[in-house]
Amino acid sequence: MNLAEGVQIVSFGILAFMMLASAIGVVLLNNIVYSAFLLGVVFVSISGLYILLNAAFVAAAQILIYVGAVNVLILFGIMLVNKRRDFARIPNAWLNQGVTALVCGGLFALLSSMIIATPWSISTAPIAGDAALVEIGKHFFTDFLLPFELASVLLLMALIGAIVIARREFFPEEGEDLSAESNLTLPERPRELTGGRR
Amino acid sequence: MFVLSGYEYFLGFLLVCSAVPAIAIISSQLLRPKRQGVERRTTYESGMEPIGGAWIQFNIRYYMFSLVFVIFDVETVFLYPWAVAFNQLGLLAFAEALVFIAILVIGLVYAWRKGALEWS
Repeated sequence: MNLAEGVQIVSFGILAFMMLASAIGVVLLNNIVYSAFLLGVVFVSISGLYILLNAAFVAAAQILIYVGAVNVLILFGIMLVNKRRDFARIPNAWLNQGVTALVCGGLFALLSSMIIATPWSISTAPIAGDAALVEIGKHFFTDFLLPFELASVLLLMALIGAIVIARREFFPEEGEDLSAESNLTLPERPRELTGGRR
Repeated sequence: MFVLSGYEYFLGFLLVCSAVPAIAIISSQLLRPKRQGVERRTTYESGMEPIGGAWIQFNIRYYMFSLVFVIFDVETVFLYPWAVAFNQLGLLAFAEALVFIAILVIGLVYAWRKGALEWS
């Protein structure tokens, strides 16, 4: 039994609404944590669209990487930032906003005109379905072998770079006053200066 | 053409999953006592007294753990097609996948040696 066409249209409508509403929320909400969670909703809806397009592996990869990894990194990045502060108003902010609106509107016009102009040829080949995963695996180890191996080098670079940046190489001298360095309220904060091994 | 065969169960699970939180919140709203006091408004009733705001700076170690997780998450996504197509690929692909894993094991060993996996 296959899901009917109507179900597909209704699911597409729900997913598109979810995606657009949460994308607008990401931009408009003042609390940056809410924005980050709504970004996760956007990613989940995109993954739903992939499922509707019969690309199950891409959908799973979308959930794993974007929701499970990228969004978590964004949330941690927000939590690393100190408490929110009151920022001073930028003078002539309307000028910046106007330029931003111009750039975004131009980009939108460009992309939509490209989408309309492109002759989308709908393939009549049978849908690969579950066999697509095997095809992806074959491509990984034949004509896409170099990008595949380079991906691991890229991941290695990201890992080592993050460790080098995040590790504290700093050990304070005896009697040095640290109270000026941090005005944080986290109870476990002073403990990390004594830890770490070389 | 629209296939999506085998996703009926997924749709069912999706409906059940979205129903559970709604049912939990509505039923607890119906069942709980209506009295309101100061104690009931605390985050953890009869727990620790919360101190300060919730928006504090987190230790950077959490970020490091999540980043190590991300690296191996992406590795899993790359290795999954290889594992599925293992029988059709043969010995050469096995060696190539071993190279892929070996490069990432270097990163793991580095993280281990530098103490990034420990909460010291």
